[in-house]
Amino acid sequence: MLDPVARSLERYMDLLATRQKLVASNIANAETPGYRTVDIDFESEFRGLVAGGQPRAVEVSGLEVNHDGNNVNLDREARLLAENGLRFQVAEALLKGQVQAVREAISGGGSG
Amino acid sequence: MSLFSSLSVSASGMAAERARAALLVENLANAETTRTPEGGPYRRKDAVFAAEPAASPFGSAFANAIGAEGTGVRVAEVIEDTSAPERRYLPGHPDAGPDGYVAFPHINPAEDMVDLMSASRNYEANVAAIAAVKDMISHSIDLLR
Repeated sequence: MLDPVARSLERYMDLLATRQKLVASNIANAETPGYRTVDIDFESEFRGLVAGGQPRAVEVSGLEVNHDGNNVNLDREARLLAENGLRFQVAEALLKGQVQAVREAISGGGSG
Repeated sequence: MSLFSSLSVSASGMAAERARAALLVENLANAETTRTPEGGPYRRKDAVFAAEPAASPFGSAFANAIGAEGTGVRVAEVIEDTSAPERRYLPGHPDAGPDGYVAFPHINPAEDMVDLMSASRNYEANVAAIAAVKDMISHSIDLLR
């Protein structure tokens, strides 16, 4: 019923939800000795996901490692937390437009 | 559902930080305690965190099939400071030894205060994560309206 754009949006939101979960994990483990920051390679995963793949979590490189082997950077996670939320809102607004179009078609453009 | 397990991940972080804060407060309260049920002065306690796979609210039947699982946190163990107690010369003290020295806990209040601040900041970070995920969930629900 909904076109491929809506399906891509759905995948996009799925991926954002997955990423948000990894951000939540990183924040929860901000003081766990030996824990390494995990994330997904967003752009390439999105292309793969639209083609029907599954996202993979990878360790993030280039972060400063603490004396206890932990490399969570709370500022990075806070930025991603906000960014994912905003991206999600954009996708949600676009998807809402799609749903609205279907609704209008059902109600017959105002006469129903 | 991916977003709901994010909530349990952040909740595990909050629980762990709260447990750690409780130990730190206990340390501060007992900074001068010379008697314990085990005998001897109080010993400083600290929590060691360990990562663990997040529990899904719906159990394994609905567990997410994708590989990007969330990782929660738990208090793996509570360690007690084993360093020698601080000895102060107080001959009039009821717990003083024959040489007049009293064994006091080896606690540096500044160290505990700093750890307490860090526990509180991390707790807030987890709360912020829950608020962000909650926003995403409620926006998804708005799609139905």
